[in-house]
Amino acid sequence: MDDLVEVQIEQREGDGVVVARLTGELDISGADSTGQRIADAVPSSARGVVVDMSELEFIDSSGVSMLFSLARRVGSRRQELRVVAPDGQPVARVLDIVEFDKAAPVHADVDSAVAEIV
Amino acid sequence: MRALPELFDARVKARSIAYLFATGAALGLLTVAVPHMSEVNDLALVLLALGALAISAIVWVSRDRIRDWHIHAVLLGGTVIVSLANYYAGPTTLYPVLYMWAALYAFYFFRLAEALGHMAFVAISYAVVLAVQDPESAVVRWLLAVGTPLVIGLLISRMLRFISGLLGRLSERAQRLVESEARTRMVLDTAPDAFITLDRHGVIRSWNAAAQRLFGWGAAEAIGKTMRALIVPPEFGDRHDERRNALIASESPLATERFEVEFQRRDGSRFPGQATVSKVDIQGEVFVSGFITDATERLRQQAEREALLREQAARAEAERVAELVAGLQALVDAALAHRTLDGMLRELVTQVRGVLDADAATIYIADESEQLSVGSSAPGDITGGDEFANTVAETRQAMLAQGDPRTERGGLVGVPLLAEGEVTGVLVACATPPREFGGEDLTLLRLAAERVGLAIAHARVYEREHRIAETLQRSLLPDRLPELPGLDVAARYLPAASEAEVGGDWYDVLPIGGGAVGLVMGDVAGKGLAGASMVGRLRSALRAYALEGHDGARVVERLNRLLWTEAEANPMATMLYVIVDPAANAVRWVNAGHPAPLMITGGEPTFLEGAASVPLGVLPFPTYEEASARMDPGSTLLLYTDGLVERPGENIDDGMGQLAARVREAPEDPDALCDHLLATLVPAGGATDDVALLTLRNLPVPDHFTAEFPAEPESLAPMRSMLRRWLGHAGAGEIEIAEITTACGEAATNAIEHAGMRADTRFEVSGSRTGGEVEIAVRDHGSWREERPGDHGRGLDLMRTLMDTVAVEPGPRGTTVSLRRALGGNGGPIDGRPG
Repeated sequence: MDDLVEVQIEQREGDGVVVARLTGELDISGADSTGQRIADAVPSSARGVVVDMSELEFIDSSGVSMLFSLARRVGSRRQELRVVAPDGQPVARVLDIVEFDKAAPVHADVDSAVAEIV
Repeated sequence: MRALPELFDARVKARSIAYLFATGAALGLLTVAVPHMSEVNDLALVLLALGALAISAIVWVSRDRIRDWHIHAVLLGGTVIVSLANYYAGPTTLYPVLYMWAALYAFYFFRLAEALGHMAFVAISYAVVLAVQDPESAVVRWLLAVGTPLVIGLLISRMLRFISGLLGRLSERAQRLVESEARTRMVLDTAPDAFITLDRHGVIRSWNAAAQRLFGWGAAEAIGKTMRALIVPPEFGDRHDERRNALIASESPLATERFEVEFQRRDGSRFPGQATVSKVDIQGEVFVSGFITDATERLRQQAEREALLREQAARAEAERVAELVAGLQALVDAALAHRTLDGMLRELVTQVRGVLDADAATIYIADESEQLSVGSSAPGDITGGDEFANTVAETRQAMLAQGDPRTERGGLVGVPLLAEGEVTGVLVACATPPREFGGEDLTLLRLAAERVGLAIAHARVYEREHRIAETLQRSLLPDRLPELPGLDVAARYLPAASEAEVGGDWYDVLPIGGGAVGLVMGDVAGKGLAGASMVGRLRSALRAYALEGHDGARVVERLNRLLWTEAEANPMATMLYVIVDPAANAVRWVNAGHPAPLMITGGEPTFLEGAASVPLGVLPFPTYEEASARMDPGSTLLLYTDGLVERPGENIDDGMGQLAARVREAPEDPDALCDHLLATLVPAGGATDDVALLTLRNLPVPDHFTAEFPAEPESLAPMRSMLRRWLGHAGAGEIEIAEITTACGEAATNAIEHAGMRADTRFEVSGSRTGGEVEIAVRDHGSWREERPGDHGRGLDLMRTLMDTVAVEPGPRGTTVSLRRALGGNGGPIDGRPG
């Protein structure tokens, strides 16, 4: 099992939002590189970035740390970070425990997250 | 008078006496019927006549079994009847004449003494009759009645006997003459040699059947023509006449000459003939008669005999060689029976060494550029052998070396191995004095080389293709099976031992998401390179279809479509596609004409017979369906190709039975199971077909477990998989599984970070279930750090939030984090599937 976590980047032309869709499991083995990939994919012209974790099966504290630092980096560029994690899923539960919503808003689906940025 | 030899056999006597009695009876009846004197007692006479008739009939019927003394008794009885007739007919009767008949009979058929005995009985019985009937004129009548038959009987019967003897001898002689003539003709006609008689002018006068066979001319055609015109080739005509005239002119009346000359058949063909000709003088006329034989065969045999004689000097040597050749034949056969080139060469040099009584024997094999290299040696390489072998290969001649050229013997002998004009190798043997090789050894090796050269060439071609196919085949099989959490997988591939039979079997193991794993076992009908390349296409197609997320039946249907649309002839394949879902403890499969997979539960094998359909590439749109079965932890699934269960001459059901029996006694561990099955089911010399084996064990989930992992980030995912499975088995629900796994992941991440950059460190994860509570301990060998950089204690927070209790026990040799949580039962126990 090569890459535990996969990142798909979508540059939305119309609204200047970058959507990064994560699938698989996000732990310490892939956290740093994933954060780097997302950060690199966001041009300074973009208005915001949405990290879609609705299909991510697992996240641990390393993944959470990556999200926190991503939130800082994005914020420092005056861009917005939104994450998508539907309720009842393991990822949402972890984000809830670590109170991630204090760093960035958590949405139930991509459309509402994008709509908030726009 | 001297006693005559017995002339008649009993049958003749019986027949005659039967006639005699019948005639006498008829005469008696006749005398009663015609007018006669009244004193005659008619009734008595009729009764006597009927009695005589009855006796006649009895004798006639039993004539084949009758003996001499029976005849005597009957004749005596006849005398009594005649005497009674005389008595009842009265004194004037003429019946005494009947005594004459008895007398004639007795004298004709019996010895004189016996005949006289009968006459004596006649005399006495008639004397009695007369004494009773007519005492006055008794003597005269007696003398007349007895004397006349006696004299006449004697004379007539003896004369008859003489005449009949004379006639018999005459006819016998005539018979013998006839037979003799026929025999002579037959002898001449059945004689294997032609017999021809010519008159003095050379005209054919006799011509037997053999002559007809030999020359093609019938007797009717030949007789009357000259021999010269008929069967003598024109150029020998004058010579023929000269020879005949010389024979006729010779002094000796019985001159005989033998000569060999060419003759001509009717169809114009010629043959060497041998003639034995004699001059014959028959009543003043001179003939020439002779036997002619076809000498072709005789001349050939003679030539052969001469050839044999010429070879007689070499014969003693040849016999020794013959013995060696027989041995060599056996050795070559033994060598050729080997399936592999190496085995063949090894056997060959060993045998050659033995048969030639050589110190060592070596086979050199030529590569494509005719460079020689040692193929096999027994017991070791030969000093100077390489150079010698090269010379032999260059000259392409069998040769001897290291000897005295005058003796034509030597300590080295070598022959080239040739196939289709190419030198495929050189066979060399060496000996130390006094043993030297000679011509017979050379002959022997040459014989061996003739048979072996081509076989080696073939074996090399096969081996090459075998090797290519095997390499290709192996490249298509997974070289490393994926590590699957909670599952233990092992596979074996054993290429066919013989020639180009390799290829066609394939297996694959592919994780298909959700913790499920796809197992593939297939067998393509083609062998060799074609089979292996077909395997390549099927394998990549299957991986693509499976990863696209199609269910098993659709995947197999698509593969069938692929094969059906192949342009190649007969692209048929059997295949088994099995999906193992360890989280659900279930297995689903689709079977396209493949031997049924074997499920081993609690050591007891069961063939999963369901969902069997036709092989791939047979029908355009066959129906493939999935069947499913439970696969409990601890169960093992075995997939195989028919090479494992099929042996020539054996029923496949027997093979399956064998397999089941071997599985029962085999260990559970997949690797050990594979090894055991190969060791017990594949014949010692290798399988005749490819054998592929794939086993997967759904590892049992115990109440307690301990597992060790390398202290590196890559260990986390397998650890979580293992944990999820165990938790599922322990009765945790979906959310519980996710949360406990997350907590343990944090502990493990800590352990990995504690190890730092130290290589080869490991951490240990153990779990136990007591009642409704699980406890998981993560133990490392480093020192505990409260916080990771940038972590802000989130790992510990997560653990504490997600678990009931979290205990960190730092120790001198490491840290143990113990996590406990009571299970609330928010999901099914074993079948619960982690999210």
